[in-house]
Amino acid sequence: MREISHVEIMSSGHARGDRMVQWVVYFAAILVSAAFVWIVWDLVRGGIGHLSWTFLVESSRDAGRAGGIGAVLVSTVLVLLIALAVALPLGWATGALLAEYVPAAGGLGHTVRYSLQVLAAVPSIVFGLFGNIFFCVYLGLGFSILSGGLTLACMLLPILVSTAEAGLRAVPGAHRLSATALGMSRTATLWHVLLPAAAPALVAGLLLGIGRAMAETAALLFTSGYVDRMPDSLLDSGRTLAVHIFDLSMNVPGGDAPAYASALVLIAALLLINVLAMRFAAGWQRGKMVTV
Amino acid sequence: MKFAVAAALVFAAGFAWLPAGEAAPQKLVLSGASTMAPVAGEIARRFESRYRGTRIDVQSGGSSRGINDVRNGLAAIGMVSRVLKPQEKDLQAHAIAWDGVGVILHASNPVAVLSRQQISGIYTGKIANWKDVGGTDSPITVVNKAEGRSTLELFLRYLGLKASDIRPHVIIGDNSQGIKTVAGNSNAIGYVSIGAAEYEAKHRVPIKLLPLEGVAATVANVRNGTFLLSRPLNLVTGTAPKGLVREFIEFARSEHVDDLVEAQYFVPVSIR
Repeated sequence: MREISHVEIMSSGHARGDRMVQWVVYFAAILVSAAFVWIVWDLVRGGIGHLSWTFLVESSRDAGRAGGIGAVLVSTVLVLLIALAVALPLGWATGALLAEYVPAAGGLGHTVRYSLQVLAAVPSIVFGLFGNIFFCVYLGLGFSILSGGLTLACMLLPILVSTAEAGLRAVPGAHRLSATALGMSRTATLWHVLLPAAAPALVAGLLLGIGRAMAETAALLFTSGYVDRMPDSLLDSGRTLAVHIFDLSMNVPGGDAPAYASALVLIAALLLINVLAMRFAAGWQRGKMVTV
Repeated sequence: MKFAVAAALVFAAGFAWLPAGEAAPQKLVLSGASTMAPVAGEIARRFESRYRGTRIDVQSGGSSRGINDVRNGLAAIGMVSRVLKPQEKDLQAHAIAWDGVGVILHASNPVAVLSRQQISGIYTGKIANWKDVGGTDSPITVVNKAEGRSTLELFLRYLGLKASDIRPHVIIGDNSQGIKTVAGNSNAIGYVSIGAAEYEAKHRVPIKLLPLEGVAATVANVRNGTFLLSRPLNLVTGTAPKGLVREFIEFARSEHVDDLVEAQYFVPVSIR
């Protein structure tokens, strides 16, 4: 008798608790979406009037109040490409090493992981000062797109490595056993089975990295610099979108409208990159693996 | 495989692009005060179009950085938005414009004038409520500039205070940030470049500039020299300028750039 009543109370308590948790979860999700919608709405309201095709292709004039962001966009893309071209192979290779080639608790794995955790926690301004001293002054690259891209690459490494490692570790061990049973070499297994299976995680890391790179201001102000002219080479200084937005909103009176429009372009570009990267990952997975 | 190919292509393209086509242009790097960076950038653009084959790169980051970059050779010309200090006498300053610094309040604040003693009292925390200086009964929010900013140093010298005497509630960096902070807080007091404040006030941002010692804080009064709190915007070099450096400094001080200087709400040096 007592037992039964206890169970009844428990189950009705469970149901109420479950409902509450469900509401809390829904509320949190709505709050997150609302924050995003609010930001986008604010940007659209402030920037859409200033946005036009000429704004996208022209160089800026009158300290950014007039003209467009053509040169700034080119510099941003170049800095991003350099950062990714350097950081992606290094980061994903290190992730593969940590997940597949060294024991999880071993000395080397521990050291690499520990140094990456420290690197991930370093504030971006410190990367900026490091990049300024090492790439600009010591290596003599000066304020340049190359210096900025390399500095960003250092910042992206921890994100890329940890997401790649986690993604590879999440691939079921059965995949590895099956591949071995089929006589596949370790490299072939990694290339044809494990990496495609981990593609969603790799892409998630890539997107986080791109997001961090596009948002970076402090580190780039000290390395790729402030020049808003169309770059002739990778050794030219070039202002990125985030630096441009920061300068317009904080330093240029009357720069708010172009700052809003530039921010709108930045958000739109990030959304576009997200969609494309997701598509690419799905395609890669389908091409390599019949079913997952 | 696709990734490797893509990465290789990007890199190959990058390195093929490295040597910049024609004969390397004469390059000049300026670095320093964020207040000066926009106007210097505009002057640089006009200089480049007049003297073909030159490249003038303008970098921002603050007067102290300008001094450092000139000393360690990263920049040929520093931008310093104040007079040089005694320990900076190894450098040479060339003023290109004048700028005033004005005290700003929220437009809804009934206080219309503050004496030097009252401003000093507010910034040292001795006066903490607007009712003590003729305003409403509400606490004062003191907005101060970050350490190393020339505006801060000028302001301190005017009040005869040390940086450690100030009791700030908000610390800001660039001018527009200061204006936004005061515009968003009806009890705030701050000080920013007059040109920037005048521009924003005209464009219906809710701030007002206070007169100092009976002189209205306007660009016009900075121009005629009656406004006390003004500063030169200097180009700074390590040695006596020659070659391209000299050409650029002479151009930046000439009447050819007056319209550019005025467009950024400063007073051209050739006028005063």
